Amino acid sequence: MSTIAATPPPETRERRYLLDREGVLGPLMLLPAVVYIIALVGFPLGLAIAYSLSDVTIGDQGLDWVGFRNFVDVAKNGTFQKALRNTFLFTLASQVLVLTLANILALVLSSDFKGKRLVRFLILLPWTTPIALGAIGWLWLLDSVYSPIDWVLRQVNLLGPGTIFGPRGNMYWTAKADLAQLSVLLIHTWRTLPLATVILLAGLTAIPQDVKDAANVDGAGFWRQLIYIRIPLLLPIMAVATLFGMVFTFTDMTVVYVLTRGGPIDNTQVLASWAYFKGIEGGNLAQGAAIAMFLFPVLVGVAVLMLRMARRTETT
Amino acid sequence: MVTTAYFAGEADAQMEMEMRGRTPVWGTGISRRTLLKGTGAAALAAAMGPHLNVRATTFQTPTVNISGTELKILQWSHFVPTYDTWFDNFVKEWGAANGVTTTVDHINTADVPAAIAAEISAGQGHDLLEHIVPVAQYGPAMLDMTDVVQEVTNRHGPQLDLAKRNSFNPTTNTYYAFNHGYAPDPANFRKSLWEQAGFPNGPATFDELLEGGGKIMNEQGVQMGIGMSNEVDSNMAAQAMLWAFGGSVQDENENVVINSPETIAAVEYMARLFEAAMTPEVFGWNAASNNQLMIAGQASYILNSISAYRTAQGDQPDVAKDVFFGTPLVGPAGQERALAHGHAVFNYMIPKHSKFPDTAKEFLFHLVANYDQAADQSKLYNFPSFPSTVPNLTQEGGPLDNDPFGSEPANKLASLKTAEQWTTNLGWPGPANPAIGEVFGSFILPNMMARTARGEMSAADSVAQAEKDTLPIFEKWRAEGLIGGGQ
Repeated sequence: MSTIAATPPPETRERRYLLDREGVLGPLMLLPAVVYIIALVGFPLGLAIAYSLSDVTIGDQGLDWVGFRNFVDVAKNGTFQKALRNTFLFTLASQVLVLTLANILALVLSSDFKGKRLVRFLILLPWTTPIALGAIGWLWLLDSVYSPIDWVLRQVNLLGPGTIFGPRGNMYWTAKADLAQLSVLLIHTWRTLPLATVILLAGLTAIPQDVKDAANVDGAGFWRQLIYIRIPLLLPIMAVATLFGMVFTFTDMTVVYVLTRGGPIDNTQVLASWAYFKGIEGGNLAQGAAIAMFLFPVLVGVAVLMLRMARRTETT
Repeated sequence: MVTTAYFAGEADAQMEMEMRGRTPVWGTGISRRTLLKGTGAAALAAAMGPHLNVRATTFQTPTVNISGTELKILQWSHFVPTYDTWFDNFVKEWGAANGVTTTVDHINTADVPAAIAAEISAGQGHDLLEHIVPVAQYGPAMLDMTDVVQEVTNRHGPQLDLAKRNSFNPTTNTYYAFNHGYAPDPANFRKSLWEQAGFPNGPATFDELLEGGGKIMNEQGVQMGIGMSNEVDSNMAAQAMLWAFGGSVQDENENVVINSPETIAAVEYMARLFEAAMTPEVFGWNAASNNQLMIAGQASYILNSISAYRTAQGDQPDVAKDVFFGTPLVGPAGQERALAHGHAVFNYMIPKHSKFPDTAKEFLFHLVANYDQAADQSKLYNFPSFPSTVPNLTQEGGPLDNDPFGSEPANKLASLKTAEQWTTNLGWPGPANPAIGEVFGSFILPNMMARTARGEMSAADSVAQAEKDTLPIFEKWRAEGLIGGGQ
């Protein structure tokens, strides 16, 4: 029986040759990612920039250029200034809290104890809950009439006439500026803590055992090990956790929209929610886009930091 | 009895039904099945009690051929759930009778603006969009509904002026929406509390509100609830208070006039009222909060539609028995300016991207023709913009004097009979224009009240701040050519 070697037709050979070339295959493999980024990041960003420089409204989406007028008008508005301040306040304060609590939790969860898996599961739950549902849950918990937190405070005599939190029967969490801000801050912390904890837990387990053993042999106690070994070695991973948390908190409008709608007296308004109220509910799409564009420089900064860290990880 | 009016094409309609495989009831243009359903509904309505003398569904032959088309409706989830149940079936039956494929999507009223904005941007979506606040700012993307208003006026008589003012832009001379009804916004008060304070019929003036509300708070420990928060009820309450004190956001020519001694007096009054009769919760409310407070039995007085009361009838009957209704309070500007917004104004819009605008218009004709059912199924929440469609609603001895939904006493809703006289539009004395829409969307009015009530600013400074926030909004929309004024 004779065997005839199959000779591929010239076009197939040429195609194969082309695919063997790195200059062709590389871009081809990257193409889906590039299309994805252009379609879902680049195009909306470009549109937002165009909107912010125009007089577009919800009803009339024709683009008549007005230069930087929207940015000037927006910046003069008192509510915008509050929103800008609050956006930074909630982001930075929540991430300080998250970092502190995540370190503690990660240390606890890295040790062995009974029921560790259950505790890990419970700590992760807030991260798995859609933020809108979580915020509605908190809205009920902080309700001005039916708040269970207030009920507990009343039961332990911390709330009500002659008690530490004052004579009234409720705290009015979302009605007083300081309490409303604290509520938003704590919900952001509650939401981003699980992710940071998991990231730091992974970092802790990656610390070489011989380093820990050497510290133990040298007689280093808990605090010495924490300050001189764990924290320095965890710093890069802490930065990753912080950057993720910052992005999530900085861009979020759900918590504020569901819980306070920016009140009381716009004291919890953030850039994202103010952009929504102006742009969508008010119909002033151009100013809404201009407000949202103020998020851009910070997000670019965070993105650059993330990319640098990723590159450093690649080279080490 | 099924009443059916024919304007044109009876034979065509008859033939269409036969072609669709359903046996028409000759001379009516509707199938036996539909007829039986309609008769069944009428029998059910009769068995349930007097209601509104609700007639069985009236089907009219469409003025244009809409068979084979589609109708997709996006609207708010009604505060009275029975309305939605009825409405979905009502649409379905109309679609079946006319060979139209129908879809109804209900979403939370707070989410409607975002949904409409998204559909306008996408250039596709539903054919009919309903929102309960006038959104003139979306007007340029909507079809002019002048022809619908004219046709319905021809069929059912004149539309209420308040309905026109909530849906018509005089600058562009277009109806950006078709207003089919409104919900009055009366005062809701707890009679037993006000009786003890010496006002057995509730307060009639703002002075009485302050005096009685303060007394109830001090002696009976029950607060009142008029919001000063980033939500729609607070917007309406602040606006009504401005009117009663002689102020307003804009004049009839759409010029900003908010910074006036009258507005300052209203803001000062609100601060005194807060101090005397309210708790800080009013600064953190959402649109449902005053309802909740009333239903919980912890409010002496709120401004709301009857929906909170209807909920209380089911959930807290004892509280419901004690809830009574009053007309807008008289302030320093006198009876003429004792006004309230429509708590909800039912505006349907047809977006320019709609594939079947004629179908949407035909449905609106059908809805108005059967508005007695809408009023009935909403438990008297919906009041008609074309009063002839629910003729006995405000008549002596009608359902407001004898509530078919179990009020005790039965005439508890009687004060709503005059709602047409004291209900007006968003932005009165000007029209409900895009600038007023954005002022509401930015919560400028409740924040103006709250800053002074919280002691953060004097009334004069707070009003000046509100003016500073309002002027650029008006300038922006004036530049767009959507509002007048500017002199």
